Amino acid sequence: MKVSYRWVRDVAPGIGLPQAQAMERLALRGAPVEEVVDLAEGLRDVVIGRVLEARPHPNADRLTLCRVMGPEGEVPVVCGAPVVVEGACYPFAPVGAVLPGGFRIGKRKIRGEVSRGMLCSERELELGDDHAGIMLLDGPYEPGAPFAQAVGLDDVRLDVEVTPNRGDLLSHVGIARELHPDGQAGISLPEFPDGTPAVAANFARGEVEAGSAGVRIRIEDPDLCSRYLGAVIRGVEVGPSPRWLADRLRAAGARPVNNVVDATNYVMLELGQPLHAFDLARLADATIVVGRARPGESLVTLDGETRAVTREMLMIRDAEVPVAVAGVMGGRDSEVSAGSADILLECALFEPRQVRATRRALGMSTDASYRFERGVDPATMETALTRAAALIVAVAGGSVEGELIDVHPRPWEAPVVSLRPSRVGHLLGVEFTPEEIAGLLAPLGYTVTKRGADALEVVVPGHRGQDTLREVDLIEEVARTHGFDAFPEVMSPARPGTVPDHPLFQLEDTLRALLAADGISEAQTPALGPAAHGDVPLLNPMSRDEGYLRRDRLPGLLAHVERNMARGVRDVRLFEIGTAFAASSVPGEAPAESSRVAVVLTGRRTPPHWSGPGEPFDVYDMARVLELVAEVAYPGGRVVPAADDTAEALCVGGRGYVVVSGSGEVVGWGGEVEPGAMDLPRWAGVVVGGEVLLPDMPGPRPEVTARDLPDQPAVQRDLALLVGVDMAVGKVVEVARKGAGKLLEAVEVFDVYEGDDLPPATRSVALRLRFRARGRTLTDKEVDKACRRVLRKVKEETGVETRS
Amino acid sequence: MIEDLRRLEADARAAIRRASDTDELERVRVRYLGRREGRVSALLRQLGRLSREERPAAGAEANRVKTALVQAHEDRSRELAAATAHDPDRLDLTLPARGKWRGTVHPVSRVVDDIWQIFRSLGFVRARGPEVDTEWYNFVALNTPLDHPAADEQDTLYLAPGLLLRSHTSPVQIRTMEKYPPPIRIIAPGMVYRRDTYDATHTPAFAQIEGLVVDEGVTFVDFKATLAEFARRFWGPGTRVRFRPSFFPFTEPSAEVDVKRVIVREDGSEEETGWIEIMGAGMVDPAVLDNVGYDSERYTGWAFGMGPARVALLRHGVRDLRLFYENDMRFLGQFT
Repeated sequence: MKVSYRWVRDVAPGIGLPQAQAMERLALRGAPVEEVVDLAEGLRDVVIGRVLEARPHPNADRLTLCRVMGPEGEVPVVCGAPVVVEGACYPFAPVGAVLPGGFRIGKRKIRGEVSRGMLCSERELELGDDHAGIMLLDGPYEPGAPFAQAVGLDDVRLDVEVTPNRGDLLSHVGIARELHPDGQAGISLPEFPDGTPAVAANFARGEVEAGSAGVRIRIEDPDLCSRYLGAVIRGVEVGPSPRWLADRLRAAGARPVNNVVDATNYVMLELGQPLHAFDLARLADATIVVGRARPGESLVTLDGETRAVTREMLMIRDAEVPVAVAGVMGGRDSEVSAGSADILLECALFEPRQVRATRRALGMSTDASYRFERGVDPATMETALTRAAALIVAVAGGSVEGELIDVHPRPWEAPVVSLRPSRVGHLLGVEFTPEEIAGLLAPLGYTVTKRGADALEVVVPGHRGQDTLREVDLIEEVARTHGFDAFPEVMSPARPGTVPDHPLFQLEDTLRALLAADGISEAQTPALGPAAHGDVPLLNPMSRDEGYLRRDRLPGLLAHVERNMARGVRDVRLFEIGTAFAASSVPGEAPAESSRVAVVLTGRRTPPHWSGPGEPFDVYDMARVLELVAEVAYPGGRVVPAADDTAEALCVGGRGYVVVSGSGEVVGWGGEVEPGAMDLPRWAGVVVGGEVLLPDMPGPRPEVTARDLPDQPAVQRDLALLVGVDMAVGKVVEVARKGAGKLLEAVEVFDVYEGDDLPPATRSVALRLRFRARGRTLTDKEVDKACRRVLRKVKEETGVETRS
Repeated sequence: MIEDLRRLEADARAAIRRASDTDELERVRVRYLGRREGRVSALLRQLGRLSREERPAAGAEANRVKTALVQAHEDRSRELAAATAHDPDRLDLTLPARGKWRGTVHPVSRVVDDIWQIFRSLGFVRARGPEVDTEWYNFVALNTPLDHPAADEQDTLYLAPGLLLRSHTSPVQIRTMEKYPPPIRIIAPGMVYRRDTYDATHTPAFAQIEGLVVDEGVTFVDFKATLAEFARRFWGPGTRVRFRPSFFPFTEPSAEVDVKRVIVREDGSEEETGWIEIMGAGMVDPAVLDNVGYDSERYTGWAFGMGPARVALLRHGVRDLRLFYENDMRFLGQFT
């Protein structure tokens, strides 16, 4: 809500707060100011100038040579305006002044005559569109005085953030109510500058239909329109608004249109009540019917759009067709325009949900619909109608004919809410007496009618009639008026809750710390991706690239490898913990969600160092990371090479690892990423990646039972084996392990060597076997025997021989 | 001859042991083991002059001596090399340290964790809920009718009619209260989604942290105190906290919480920031408690929601939220 602070003070003359304090107070009452615009900002250099003498320029027909009295005495000014009145005052920009558009006034010579300043038009000062002439100022002004202050343009526009429950703040009166020390009681609507014509509040009333001055109004749908007021004004002269009115609207951020429309907007901005003026001559049979649209109807609205309207929408109709979308926008055909002489002024109350549904269906929002949706004050409708009628008469002439019309099928009754002071203390933690409560509510317009033993009866004012209908709503008003800051801050002892800490968070934390400690950085990528990356589409995506929920997290992470590499970053180590989504087999049912950890590594295994070139990451690094994750997430789980047909498609050559949980389920995978799956620069090396599903509800990690340290030395034996490239080393190790017997403590592959000195298609694999017996020292004989058994078994089962 | 060999061996071993640097050791090696001038080689050349009977024993002994001396030389050489390596004069400590990659936890995760650690110390635990949820949990149960303007504030991404990506973490309030009886004392970090396009302050997916306390006797005073305590622990003891009235359909009274931090500069001088909005909060609306079957006359509570990405933005002086989601190694690497 944009308000002119000057206007706010005009409707509640007791507000003495400087602007900064007013902003502070508004913030602490729930209406923070988002932006402040100093309306005099661009006019700072402009002063009042009085034209002492004006005579034709000797060398130009259309120019006038003036002597202008300004801040530094008399100066010569050459002016291009058609008319310059001697003795009159104008806005004057002396040499050195900068105009709102940034134009700097300099000393100039125009057709041989010196000009030391400029008399300004409205447009040059960005006060209006009038460029035809300079801006003549009526009234007594002091030459040289600052222009903005002298004409009342030294104002600020406050853009107040209004929450959806505070429809009452969508007006200058509403803002003033929060600022005035007496609140509601401090409101006093000002007279119009040229006087306020009297409009008698005599109404021709009816429950569903009423009429006066040849106009009839009928409500067909009282549930959607509970009241409709009308005023017939004849003999208006539509034209531009007087300066004060146009200035007011502009100060509040509205655009002046014409005097009649501006008058309705003025009253809406002042009181919050949307109003509409129809050209009476364009209403068939001078009739208004408030009812739903008929099938197939359409309407051209004020913005020039043709709108197909439906049975669900409430219309303002004349005897034949819709002439306005109720509470949203008027129709172009019945718009007040230059030729209009007789008008019907509408002030109505439309059901908020109906207005909201209609304007959403039409894909539009207007000042009127915005207010109706948030609730307008049913108690100020008569005031709004008479004030708007008076303003129209004041600025456009004409007169109100006959009685005002009031069709009122559902009379509004002020809600009465019961409020227990004990409940106020129960919720707020501070006790308030009934008197204190009444005193806090009164400035907001609430009246306490009855003070029972336990509860107060509180009558809710019209401007809060939408929002405060429950006891707790009133308690909020008590807290708000008392001031949130006035409540003490005392922590009370808390009982532990019944909810256990979710173990998945603990697992995620552990993994995050573990992977970061391993040199991998945590990324965050959105769960939304293109169709290729997901099975669950969105109904209303923002773009095709974000139209699906991801089924896996790794592809999103790979995209960030591409992004890093596109920026020349070669060493990329990223992990992410996020949710993946699997479509439900039942349409319309929520997808299954799972938490995933995805990892990607590429570039050098260690940072560059003078001691040697870093080795690039390879698939064995991925195996280690998967083991790290599996160890934490799946006690008893393991990482094994995938059988050829089960590796993920992203793995190069279809070869990779799978992570198998303790219960035998495949819960993750990893490997070297197929280069074709990514868009990488030519210099990019191997990229390895993997992803592990995390358990929904991880169990506690098994406690470690410590083993005693060995009391006997171990005996080590190294075996060099010649393993064919077709034989898996893992298989050889397995056979060796079994063959070595009980005394074997560990077996380690400590070297794999390929070279020209070996038989073709073989590699030398060195195994280190460690033997140990409990409670006694091993003899060489025993160990030699075990090694011979290993070599025999290996040869028998794998055909692998010792390297000679 | 054998005598000579043994004497030579003893001399050579002593010389090898005496050698105190590699240069001297090399001279010793040449003197004894050098191919031409070496004294061992010289003795070996004399083997031919021996009688047939003497020759095998002397030859074997000569070979043994040679092998032993080569070994002794190698050992001493290794000793000297090791000594050199430990020689403080030979170390250039200006050379860069050996590198190891440092991984980093995402700055937004770090904020979440810092917040969690504080609430944990205040007796809270963590709860979670699904990211895809229903209109009931996301709006209706939270006292937000779909035909109310409040539902506009969050432009929601839908999967199907009634099924949506949660637009805030508040549905976890409902899900937790449905499952557990009071007292409740939880925070709920998680991802939320809105129909926002990427700009300096918006992303369609972002982290949020919900908090919820419900018990008998929980008041506005307690609410203010606990959140102010959190703010002072998070932003420092001098932090001022301000509660401004606001509106959320599921809390009443509702508040925006602002903090004013004291920034201590390097020279020790202090500066106060302006008011920074950090969270929306309020007393749980009784309608929400009624919706989960709690007795709203008996139980009261408070709740909050905050955006850790915004907090991270302020904490690290990041100008554009998008930097957090580009995952550039050079950006992430700064948060060690």
